Parts: sequence; structure tokens; C-alpha cells
Amino acid sequence: MTEQEIKSIIHLAINDNFELQGSDEKASDDTVLFGSNSSIDSLGFVNIIVGVENQLKERNIDISLVSEKAMSRKNSPFKTVKTLVEFIQEEIEQ
Amino acid sequence: MNNKMNKIMVITGTSKGIGRELSQYYLKKGYTVIGCSRSESELLHERYEHFCLDVSDEKSVEKMITDVSRKYKKIDYLLNNAGIASMNHTLLTPASVVEKIFKVNVLGTFLFSREVAKVMSKNKWGRVVNFSTIGVPLRLEGECIYTSSKAAVEMMTRILAKEYAGMNITVNAVGPTPVKTDLIRNIPEDKITSLINRQAVKKMSDHGDIINVINFFINHKSNMVTGQVLYLGGLS
Repeated sequence: MTEQEIKSIIHLAINDNFELQGSDEKASDDTVLFGSNSSIDSLGFVNIIVGVENQLKERNIDISLVSEKAMSRKNSPFKTVKTLVEFIQEEIEQ
Repeated sequence: MNNKMNKIMVITGTSKGIGRELSQYYLKKGYTVIGCSRSESELLHERYEHFCLDVSDEKSVEKMITDVSRKYKKIDYLLNNAGIASMNHTLLTPASVVEKIFKVNVLGTFLFSREVAKVMSKNKWGRVVNFSTIGVPLRLEGECIYTSSKAAVEMMTRILAKEYAGMNITVNAVGPTPVKTDLIRNIPEDKITSLINRQAVKKMSDHGDIINVINFFINHKSNMVTGQVLYLGGLS
């Protein structure tokens, strides 16, 4: 799976969430996924991660994004779209 | 039957006891039932599919639910029935038994709820029913570990209800009185009688009593019923 394809899946999940919130915001590579600088609330963040996992599964990529390894990293892979893309690529390659 | 009409139910611990009865009941109602247990199932039905796994094994549970999701495209109901018990005084309970009971009863319920809720979230609808015991309100001596594990299941039920509410998934639990199954086969009769005498309705439950509560929880009209633990026999 290419970087662009992963990015599209994440963007789609984020935009679905924005739409659900009634927001006009659109996903970009720098969209912050959680924390005080993010416009995404905690439930939205959960929905995005689960949505991305579901989309990957539909493409026969069975990876779990919420591993202990991911949670305990010094630099969270869930910070922005860019870091999440990198993390998914790493997981796919393993 | 089209996919939208066909109800997909996942039940854990279906090889015997209540799990098997529940499978047969919901198959008769026309549901597709996907069951699992550590052993093979003797249940043969065109709408029944069985997975052999340990409910506390994360990878196996993930794989099962991924397979189910790919094949059926949705899951409507989850009954977290799988459970084990060991009745003994705490001074006679080895750590290995504590670990085993918590793994199956608590971790198993957690893993299935997590994985199935991911699938349910796609359709923004779902019903999860967990299994507790009247041992919790009775703070039953001689069942410390089993009852503690079910107390954890009750708390999980209440918190999952909050976490999943936004996805239109309800999570409730039924707390049966003793039912004639393998789970209580090693308990002396006088112990069971003394337990039953502490209930308002002084008799054992049968499978129909449990099914009645489950049907209430999973009913489409029960949208506002979530985070509840309903005990049989008049306990609270």
C-alpha cells in the first residue's frame, strides 16, 4: 500500500468525523489528531482510529493501531496525520 | 434473506451450557449465530459457524472478528457468555486459578467487546450483553475470585455503555441465579439451597429466564437501556 493510499484513508476518516461534528474543516497532513491543539475531541479521535483500522482491514491489512508499542512511544504516532502514516507504514512492513 | 434483514449474533462459550442453549434459541429465531469455545462444537446448523479459540487470546479474537466482519459485513449482537468459575475459600486458591478466571471472564469480555464494537461502529448500531452473577450483590463467600471477576465485568459494562453510547451501541449485563450447568456441578447441593434461600424468588433460573432478559436488552426499542445490570431472583 502506498503512502498516498494510507493518507487518503486517514483523510477520509478525519473528514467523516468533521462532517459528523458539522465542521467545514478539511483534513491535511498537518491535522493534529488529539490534544489541546486539535479540533478533534476524544470520541472523534477514537472514531478516526477505528475507522482507519476498519478501512485497512477491508483492504486485507490486519494491523492493530493500538498496540502497547504504539502507546508507549516517546513521540506518539497518533499526533498528526503525517506521524500516523509513518506508523502504519512501519506496521505494514513488519 | 437479504443481509440487512439477517441478524448476526456473536456468542462466546457456545460448546455447552447456557451458550449452547442461547445459540439454539437464536438460530430458531432465524439469526445467524457465530459461536466460539476452546473445544469443537457439536452444534450443526446452516446458520451456525464455530471458531475454536481461547477468548483471552488477543490475536485469535482479533482474527475471528475480522473474519466474521469480512464474511457477514456487520455484527448486530454480542453475548459475552464465556466464563469459568472456581468455588473455593481464598486461603485455598492458587494464583494460577485467579489468573485463569480473570483472563477468561474479564479479559475475554473486554477483547470481544472491543473488537465487536469496532465492527458495530461502522453501522452505528449494536447490542452487547455481558454476564454477571448474583454472587456480586450477595458478596458471596467461597466465590471470591469468580465474583470479583464478575464485579469487574459489571463495572466494565457501565463504562463501556458510556464509551459506546455515541456509536449507538448499548451494553448491559444479566446476573442469573444458579442455573443447572457445568459451572456449578461441583458445588454441594446444600450450598446451592442456602444460596437460593437468600433470593427473593427462591428457585434456580432456567435458560428461559436469562433469554427473557437478553431479549429485553437487545430489543430495538431498548435504545435508552444501557449500563444496566439486571439480576434475576429479586436481588439488587
